[in-house]
This record gives sequence, structure tokens and C-alpha cells, in this order.
Amino acid sequence: MCGIAGILYKSSTAADAMVGKALIDMLDGCQHRGPDSTGFSLYRESHPGHLRLRFIVGDGDAAHEAIDRVKAKLAEFQATIVEEEHKGSSYAAMVKFDGDLQKFAFEMEHAAKLSSIGESLDIIKDLGGAHDVDNVYKIEEFHGTHGIGHVRLATESDVAPEATHPFWATGFADISIVHNGQITNYYKMRRRLEKQGYFFNTDNDSELIAVYLADKLKHGITLKDALKTSIEDLDGTFSFLVSTKDEIGYAKDRLAAKPMVKYEDDNIIAIASEEVSLNRLFPGRALNTSEPAPGTYDTWQRSTSA
Amino acid sequence: MATIDLSVTSVTDANALLRKYGADGVDVDVLNPDARHHIGVGLTHPINVHIKGSAGYFCGGLTDGPRFVVDNNVGWGVGDNMLRGSIVVNGNASAIPGVAIRGAEIVVKGNIGSRAGQVMKEGTLLACGNANFMAGYMMYGGRLIILGDAGEKVGQDMTGGNIYVAGRLGEMGTDAMLTDLPKAELDDILAFLDKYKIPFKGTLQKIVNAGKKLRYPRSEPRRRAIPFFDSFADNAYWNAKVQEDIHIKSQIGRYRIRGYGATRPMPHLSDIAFKKDIAIGAGTDPDVISKVNMKTEVGGRSGANPLKLSMPVMIAPMSYGALSKSAKLALAIASKLSGISENTGEGGMSNEQRAEAEQLIYQCLSGRLGWNIHDMQRANGLEIYISQGAKPGLGGQLMAKKVTPEIARIRGIPAGIDLRSPSRHPDVLGADDLVIKVEEFREATGYRVPVSVKLGAGRVRDDIKIAWKDGFDFVELDGMQGSTGAAGNEVLEFVGIPTLSAIQEARDALTEVGGLDMPIVLMGGIKDGIDAVKALALGAHAVAVGTSAIIAGGCIACLQCHVGSCVTGIATQDPEHEKRYNVPVEAQNIHHYLESMRWQIAAITHALGYADPHQVSRDDLVALTPEAAAITRLPYHPEYREREQDLRRAS
Repeated sequence: MCGIAGILYKSSTAADAMVGKALIDMLDGCQHRGPDSTGFSLYRESHPGHLRLRFIVGDGDAAHEAIDRVKAKLAEFQATIVEEEHKGSSYAAMVKFDGDLQKFAFEMEHAAKLSSIGESLDIIKDLGGAHDVDNVYKIEEFHGTHGIGHVRLATESDVAPEATHPFWATGFADISIVHNGQITNYYKMRRRLEKQGYFFNTDNDSELIAVYLADKLKHGITLKDALKTSIEDLDGTFSFLVSTKDEIGYAKDRLAAKPMVKYEDDNIIAIASEEVSLNRLFPGRALNTSEPAPGTYDTWQRSTSA
Repeated sequence: MATIDLSVTSVTDANALLRKYGADGVDVDVLNPDARHHIGVGLTHPINVHIKGSAGYFCGGLTDGPRFVVDNNVGWGVGDNMLRGSIVVNGNASAIPGVAIRGAEIVVKGNIGSRAGQVMKEGTLLACGNANFMAGYMMYGGRLIILGDAGEKVGQDMTGGNIYVAGRLGEMGTDAMLTDLPKAELDDILAFLDKYKIPFKGTLQKIVNAGKKLRYPRSEPRRRAIPFFDSFADNAYWNAKVQEDIHIKSQIGRYRIRGYGATRPMPHLSDIAFKKDIAIGAGTDPDVISKVNMKTEVGGRSGANPLKLSMPVMIAPMSYGALSKSAKLALAIASKLSGISENTGEGGMSNEQRAEAEQLIYQCLSGRLGWNIHDMQRANGLEIYISQGAKPGLGGQLMAKKVTPEIARIRGIPAGIDLRSPSRHPDVLGADDLVIKVEEFREATGYRVPVSVKLGAGRVRDDIKIAWKDGFDFVELDGMQGSTGAAGNEVLEFVGIPTLSAIQEARDALTEVGGLDMPIVLMGGIKDGIDAVKALALGAHAVAVGTSAIIAGGCIACLQCHVGSCVTGIATQDPEHEKRYNVPVEAQNIHHYLESMRWQIAAITHALGYADPHQVSRDDLVALTPEAAAITRLPYHPEYREREQDLRRAS
């Protein structure tokens, strides 16, 4: 039960866009939909041969123990730390690594609660509102081309940083999702994916969407086609956003039970649960928005040429 | 002409200003709306309000009279429950535009979102562009005009009213059909389009209800029924009741409907006893009531005016419709005499009931039957019904015999249908929507009136946390032993969880999230003051009585409430039957019964050594059965059973 928001600046010359600020504004605009916790998927600059990892480590002694475990595990995989950061309840590291990502990810998961791995993806999520999370993690300073975010009102699972969106598709670099709704064939779909060797970090139904999409991408299916089949395969109510290293997309269930509004112009595509979030980007302006129809999906790619 | 700038004024302040300008007859321009929710909610004066931009959810909702113009888009539920007045939207409207309108004219120049006009009763909703999925879903009356394409499932489960479509029709909704469009009706529509200066040259197709689902096809054969209570008393496998049930179903081909709640034995408050050996009765201090503080406030946690109860007891929600006006009147009078609150239940507030009840909670259900801004503003509490203990997850049922022209008029529905209320609210599909709904109610009543939620006991642990997070002022929690005027027998017997489990889960959940400041009013099989004190000890702040109040007022528990021919004049709308009901006498009887509860609560509280029943705690209780012990985690002490029986006999 939540609010979602995503933004993509289409032009690569906009690599310096204030994506962090835009996401904070949009999520603050719909914070009433989810006061428990807030999360952001940010896509930072990537360095060939390097991976960004972020863990939820808690605080106090437990945090230091978790960080020690992470470091020991990284050493085991001969992943050398280039940069590191311990803020709030999370620990982030950029490491040099070029082995099998899936195996690496599953092993790292045993060291501490893994939030994300990617060449560029960094999922920052914690308890409180958009501004609370920004105060700790300085989201506002983040510049980039795109990102998605989420405000959460926990209904059936815990109020905890790890139960907060966005969810990373464990084992697949740079894919994340935010979801509003409820997947009712969760266990059936989860068992199906687990049989294929996929790993789930949480019992949250939204994580399923991330793993489902990652599985499709792994089999060479485009993101757009993966979104198309998700509407057939997933049962329940959903409006969700997905982001990869260079695109964002949405899918909406056929009952249209969960809201979604989008705004697009030559420079940006912005999607949110409510128009009030989009209007935060353009105060005082009447926006030409539209509502995706039930059972529809779409993707937008950032331009990679200069 | 006045101006309100929402970039510097909060929506709450803006709505207060709008009410003031409304009273003075001054038109208003609203600047920088930026798609904020609840703009203009609760306005009851015929002024012009020009919103210069987009508005969010429930723009112009819960209003009567104003004329809004919105320059750009609107969010969910534009014109929610609007009585008179109009809203012209120059952009698009999101989901459920014109939901539950009762006379308003809503004109959307662009496209409209899904479920347009859901449960609308009267008035016109016009989309100049396309409509989305399930336009006219469960509409009861009025007209929905779509100049573009209709989308899929148009007219899904509509009961009354007309839908007119100029563009393409998708798949037709269940129980909707095409019919001829009479010239006079077309002229009416063209006049409406002309009034709003909308050019139109096309042709229209008319869709109405097909009439296949308005009534149960076969009613139950009339015969001397074996009481439902007998079905579980006799352990024989194919007992007479089981056979009777099969015979009747072989005639009607569906589930059976009856009144009351679960009749089968299940763990309840009678499986709990007080640990201390107390004796109340002849030896009790005759002045005990004055020695115990029973005053109970409910609903003030967010600054609204709380209900002030003379004891921790309320009358549970029961509708005028399920019950006769006379029975509701007797309950209202008794509630006033005993200094407690009465509740409208589904189906609106009558003037007589409002006049007699000193404190009245007004219940809002999914069908928005009898719901309107004026009664909201004269209520002492508002209640959003999510579900009830007797039939969690299902809407109300009112059989055709009880849907008289007057009941139909109040509810805004066609007379003479088997009314099956929707099982979910049009605008509450999750906790995130619910919080916006609660805020709408608060805006409509200036934050004066407490807003509560009624939850039928199902997945209480999750639901109660949502209620707390959504900021409700209190929760009415209804267990499986709660009764109803009509529901399927299997649902009554086998859906939900017992009242005892419900309060325990609620208490555990609130402890977990630190939400014990949100009071719980427990209901579902509360039959006396002894049950009430046990409920309080287990964590309730107050209890509500429905069935026992009805029995005190003459009900004979025949379980035939749904039929509409109640011999006592309680559960009927038939004047011949109703005249048997003596309002002043039954009001006194209900009052006396409530006073007996007061005495029991005081006597037990005093005997346990406390000065306030809210001081009684779990430490004062034991469980008499392994099931009750497992549910409540109270120590299991079967040897206390005799003492419990003595207590009941004595009081």
C-alpha cells in the first residue's frame, strides 16, 4: 500500500539532472500514501569492472559485525574495496569485481541484508519520510539521468528498511522495481522461480516482480515484452515501475485498481501515483498529464548518444 | 470575488475559507491548486468556485450546491456524493468520477477514468472524451453520457439509471443491455449538452439494466422452520436440521439467507472467568454505581469532539431498513436515557432518530446508501464500514420486501429489488486510498467529528495496524458472533473469527506498533455487563450491543429478520407488523436492560477492587477452556467454571 514515482531525463546531455531532488519532491507529494518508510533507486556513474553494493546493516555493534562479515566475504571473492560509506542503517561499497555476479550476489546475501548490486544502481531505503531519508543519505545531492522511488505503508509485512521498496532483482545488476498493490499469485510464482534457482531476499510480494522481470531479461526478452507478459502472469492489483541502467517502464493491471499518472515532454518522462506528485516538479502549472489505461505497459530509454 | 492561493494556504484552511465565502455568497478563484486533494470538500452553498489548474482526489466531494470549474485535470472521485450543483472539468478526470452523486451535474471535457459513476444515484455525469473500464459500475440511478468510446464492461452490475454512448462499445457488463432511445430522452440530453455548450453531432446508444440479477430467482418455501440453533445442538450426522437444509436448497438452488450471527458454539467471553472470587447480587452495596467511574470518552485522539458515554457501552450499528423506523426510534430514545451513543447503520439517518439520539454515529458503507454531507455535519461520529463480524468481506443484504418506496428514496435506489450492497468501497481499494478518504471526511466536517472504522474480524492483526496508521479515532471491532439482518447461512457460521480472538489479535497488533492510544470498541455477542468487563480487561475501551438491545426491545430470536414479516415489528417495513411495536414501552425496556449492564459493570469493577472498569486487566482473568486459553494466553483454570456460573446466576 504505497505511492510510487519515477523520472527519466531523455537526453544524455542531461546526465547532470537533479534526479535526487525531483524524486524527493515527488515522494514528499504523495507521502500520505505511505508514511512508514521511503526508498530510492538511483543510477550512479558506472566504472567498468566495478560494482556498487549496498547492505542494510542496522546500527550499533550489530552494524559493525555485519560490515566485518561483508568485508570478509568480499575478500573471499577477491573483490577489492575502492570506496565505502557507512550512513544511517546502511553500508555501501564500490568494489573491483569481474566474476559470476549471481553466485557472488547469493553469497553476499549471507553476509548481510543486501539492498542492491549494480554497476550503477544504488538502492537507498530507510524508515521515515522522503525528507528523513534525504537528511541521512543526502539524496538531494544526487544528479543523474533517471531513478524511481517509493513511499510505503506496511500492511502485511514488517516496518523495516529491508521491507522497504525499491526491490532489487537479486543476482541481476541494475534492475529494480517499485510497486503499489498486491500480487495474489505470489507463492505460486515464487515457487516457480525458486525452482529455477532464483533467490528471494524477503517475503514481500513486490520483490517477485523484480525477479520475474530479471528472469525474462536474462532470457533475452526485452523489458517491454517482459512488462507485457507480466500483466498476463501476475495476478492481483498492481501499478509498478521498473528501472534498468538506461530505461524505465511501467505496467498496470487490468482492473486499474491502483492509480498512475504520467507526464511527458521533450525532456522528461515522469510517472507517479498521483498528479499532485507530478505537479511538485512544476509548481503553479497546469500539466498535460494522462492516465495509463488498465492492462497497459510502456518503456522509455535515455538517449545514449551525445 | 475572492481569491485563495494554495501555494500559501493549506487545503484545510482553504476549505474553511470557502465555507465562509459560501455563507457570504462570494465567488472564489482558487490559484495554484497543483493537483492537491480535497479542494472544496464539504461546501454547502451555491457559489462559483474556479480552480485555476488541476485538482486532486475528491474535488468538490461531499457538497451540496456549489458550481465548480476546474481548468485542468482532476484526480479520483471528482464530485463524490455531490447533491446539487455542478463541476465542469476542462481536462481529464481520473478514476470514479461522479461516484455516488445524488443530483449533481459533472461535465468532463476530456477522458474519464475507470468505474465512472460507480454507485451514482441521481444526476448526470458527462464525458466528452472516452470512458475507461467498467463505466457505470453498480450505478443505481441517474444518467451517464459518454460522447467518446465506452471502454470494456460498460454498465457492469448496474441496477438502475441510463448510460448513453456515442462512440464504440466494448464488451457489455454483466446484466446490462442495449435498448431503444426515446426521442424525449434524446432531446433532454441535447438540451443538457447545449446548456454546457458542448457541440455534438453523433448518435447515441442507450444501455440499461437487463434485470436478470435484481432479485433472487426463487424464494425459500414457507414452512415451519427448524431453528438454526438446533443444527449444532444435535450431534447426529444427518439430523433433522441438516435434512431440512438440503430440502430447501433443493428447491431454491442457492445458499440460504437468514438473520442473526453464528449459531454454532465457539470460544467466547463465557469461556473466561474472573480470577478473584467475587460475589455480586443481593449483598452488593446498593450505592455501587456512584462508587465506580464509568464515564468513557471515545474519539478524541486527534482533536475531534469525542463521544461522551456515561458508561463504556454503545448501541451497535443497525440500519433503518433492516429494522423498522419504530425499532430504531426506541433504540435512539434508550441510548439517550442511558447516556450512550446510537448508530445509524447502513441506509441513512432519519430526522426522528437524529432528534431522539443525543449522540449519533453515522455509518458510511460501500453503496453510499443514504449518505450525504448534511447528515455528516449533524452527526456526532462518522464510521467507515469496511466489514462486519457476521459476514466479513461482504456487503449488506436487504430483501425486496423491505425495500419499500420510502427506504428506496432515502437510499437512492430502485424500490423492490433484493438489495445486495457492494462488498467494497469505490474509493477504498487499499490502505493508501483509505487515508485519503478519512481526510475527506475530516475536511467535510471541519475536523470536529471523530472518524472511526468498523472492521469485521478476519485478519485483525493486519487490519488494526492499518486502521492505526490511517489515523482513525477509534475502531469498532466486530467478531463472528455479531448479528446481521440478512446473510448467507454458511457465511454466518463459517466466515470470520470469534470476538475473543479478535480482541486478542487487535491488542497484540496495537502493542506491536505502539498504538494502544487508539480505542477499540468491541462488539459481536456481548450480552451483558459481565461480558463487557471481560472485554475491557482484554483490551477493549468500550463495547457495543446490538442483538441484546434488540432482544431487550422485544425480539424473539427467530432468525427470520431477512423475510420482512417480523411478528414483533422490529425487522420489518410492513406497517401492519410495525404497528405491533410499542415505541415508548420498548424504549424503556432497552433502557432498563442498559441500566442492568451499568449495574453489573459497576458491581464487578467494585468487587474486583477497582474504581474504574478500565482498570480491570488481564491479570484479573483466567481461561476456562483450552481453546480460550490458547486464544488469549490467559492461564487455564477449568475449576473456575462453577464460580463463573454463580456470578451469572447472581447478577
